[in-house]
Amino acid sequence: MSSDTKFHVHHDAPEVVGRRERLGVRILIVADASFVFAMVFSYFYLRNLNTNGGWIPKDGHTFSVASGWVVVLPLIVGAILHKIGQRNLKTIGTISIITLVVYLYGLYYQIHQIMNMPFIVKDTGGFEGAYASSWVLIAGANAFHYIIASFLALGLVIRARRANVDPTLEKWRMRTAASWFTWIAISGVICAITTGIM
Amino acid sequence: MTTLSSHVSSRPIPNPKNSLITKLNAGTGLIVGVVFAVATYNLLKGENEDPGIAYNIHNRALLAAMFMWSIGFLVGIGAFIGPWRWLIGKDLTAEEQLYLAGDGQGIKRYFKYCTDHKVVGIQYLWGVITLLGVGGAMAMMIRTNLAAPGGHFITASVYNSLVGLHGITMIIAMIIVATGPFGNYIMPIMIGAADMAFPRLNALSWWVLFTAIPVLCSAWFLGGIPTGWTAYAPLSIQAGPGMNAFIATIIIFAVSTAVAGSNITATVIAMRAKGMTWNRVPIFVIGATISVALAVPAFPTFMVSMIMTALDRTYMTGFFDANIGGSGWLYAHLFWIMGHPEVYVILIPGVAVLMEIVPVFVRMPLFSYIGAVVGFAGIAGLSILVWAHHMYMSGWMPMLNGPFMVTTEMISIPTGLIFLVMLGTLWHGKPWLKLPMLGVYAFLWNMLVGGITGIYLSDVPADNYLHGSMYVTAHFHYTLMGAALTGAVAGLAYWFPKMTGRMLNERAGYVSFWLIQIGFQVLYLGMFTAGAEGQPRRVVNYASQFATANRISTVGAYLVGTGFVVLLWAVVHSWRHGKIAPMNPWGAKSLEWTVPYPVPLVNFDTPPVVTSDPYGYGKAVK
Repeated sequence: MSSDTKFHVHHDAPEVVGRRERLGVRILIVADASFVFAMVFSYFYLRNLNTNGGWIPKDGHTFSVASGWVVVLPLIVGAILHKIGQRNLKTIGTISIITLVVYLYGLYYQIHQIMNMPFIVKDTGGFEGAYASSWVLIAGANAFHYIIASFLALGLVIRARRANVDPTLEKWRMRTAASWFTWIAISGVICAITTGIM
Repeated sequence: MTTLSSHVSSRPIPNPKNSLITKLNAGTGLIVGVVFAVATYNLLKGENEDPGIAYNIHNRALLAAMFMWSIGFLVGIGAFIGPWRWLIGKDLTAEEQLYLAGDGQGIKRYFKYCTDHKVVGIQYLWGVITLLGVGGAMAMMIRTNLAAPGGHFITASVYNSLVGLHGITMIIAMIIVATGPFGNYIMPIMIGAADMAFPRLNALSWWVLFTAIPVLCSAWFLGGIPTGWTAYAPLSIQAGPGMNAFIATIIIFAVSTAVAGSNITATVIAMRAKGMTWNRVPIFVIGATISVALAVPAFPTFMVSMIMTALDRTYMTGFFDANIGGSGWLYAHLFWIMGHPEVYVILIPGVAVLMEIVPVFVRMPLFSYIGAVVGFAGIAGLSILVWAHHMYMSGWMPMLNGPFMVTTEMISIPTGLIFLVMLGTLWHGKPWLKLPMLGVYAFLWNMLVGGITGIYLSDVPADNYLHGSMYVTAHFHYTLMGAALTGAVAGLAYWFPKMTGRMLNERAGYVSFWLIQIGFQVLYLGMFTAGAEGQPRRVVNYASQFATANRISTVGAYLVGTGFVVLLWAVVHSWRHGKIAPMNPWGAKSLEWTVPYPVPLVNFDTPPVVTSDPYGYGKAVK
């Protein structure tokens, strides 16, 4: 935060503002968790229903279990790195850069997977079955999580290099970002477990 | 707490006139939004020899254009300046924040990205009025066509679209009808806060919602939506391009709801005045918070179902296509997991408004505050366990019909508690029969009818007969319109003096109240009769045996319509020429009545300290 804005609109203490922001993000995480729940519910619902044997049709393609975990790994590493950075504020600038790179790599890998998914029917351009449909939705949600995480990590990198930010409020904002990073790592693990059960 | 104005004047600050935020408004938003939408459509529209694939590409381009309109508008109005400035480490200055709060900008601030919660409240109010007006006009067209069998007022396809668009327009309007205007304008003052927890998110929730309105309206020009507001798959997959507008509207609206829900909840949890312990929080605030806390996890499931529908329509995924492993039941589940809590997202704030009103106008404390809170929480908690009662007749898991019937009927218990609290408060009181108080009596009757008819529908054997009939339509109108909308209108009459500085024209208010309430009974009791006799809903034509009931319903609809026109006149006329309101015209004890009109930018000159509950009018009724 620049020196001009040390005077928050409500003139509340940075701790109060920070705690409030973290609360807001946690409530938004509830909404996102509901989104993830709906995707996982849909995945298992369609899998168990297997309408007309169309979950994974004969000769249908799937992603390996490992590929799901490879996508999730940067989410977990990013969350851990951020936690380490929080403990030692002197290194936060460097650690934030590494976190950003990790998230960007995860985003790239997820998009690469989506662009090269094997289950598009060549004649129609449509999807092979319900597994393929559910997979792409989950992959899209992962990509969305990566985009938000990259934005936050980039902000933390830039702000760590500015001398005029309020250190107390910044510390709270890192905690707020940590809430999101931790949640998307958990969500990633849930999604990896889900797509691993074919 | 130091007020913004005092600390701003105490230090040198840059001139915000040099800032980009001073140059942006709804006009620039409109321009950028349209440019984004047109550019996106032209970029993505493509041709393909296969008409099926060409149609999918067209749908993709349309959907993308609708989302880009929304994003473009938000860019153009300046919604992303805050996040951008955060990203680059140059936070908004105090003066820029003051400018964003709309200080001293008069009527212009209503067309800007204004962060003042009072401005956002008024924006929501007019948004609600507009949506109710459009939805109401569609209802009048539907009823006009149904006035006699074989009605030719509109064609069958237009009728189909009207039913769906009326439904979704009204649902959106009703979700925001109380929490939008009063949750934003009044609630922060009620809890003694200077503003909402996240003023920029507050503005964002309104303007995101605003961008959904033209998208929804565009459905008219894209062939309408033939699916009803439930948009069941696979109908929605096969529907024409107008369906894209529906999908985009829901997704945009879900974003707005999540943002608003997070903001309202955080505000109530974190920004209550000193001394405002949880048992001193006004009951409207409790109701609104429970409502948005229910909406936050409920709407994402609807969002997921809409994303799936969009993917099925544009990329030929198979979520709902049984040929490739999909299932229509999946849509029904996702929709109703949201759909039933959504009923209470609508209902609870309206009822909470009335509970706020009763103690003031009978000069008695709220009978069992704890009972009211438990009632609201019980309704919210049970509402997530009842969704499959909408699917009794779908053939999904008949063995679960019994358990879902039980959970549904259990909702009667917390609902009964709400009734008990209202009646207990009225008991031995001497009601001051002003306009807001009339809404309480109307609610008690309407909710009684709506609630009891709901028990029949929750009952599997009775639902077997009544499902899909006009009876269902009459039932949910009794609860949503008869209870929730009545509560919101009573709230408007109650808080009108605080929001406008003037009294609502009482005579016109009474005329509109009686027209609406008498018309309402005529309209929906007629509909109950037709439904009980077997008339299906959502049909453009019907057998002559239902003619009398339908004619009566249409007469009732015109009475209701006339009543709302009178109410609109009363609102507009009173806003401009009404009697100047005193600071506390009702002698109420909650905090919003301790501030003058116009309410100062930060609401209170000195932070209030709460020492008692807001309903201490006399002895509690035992």
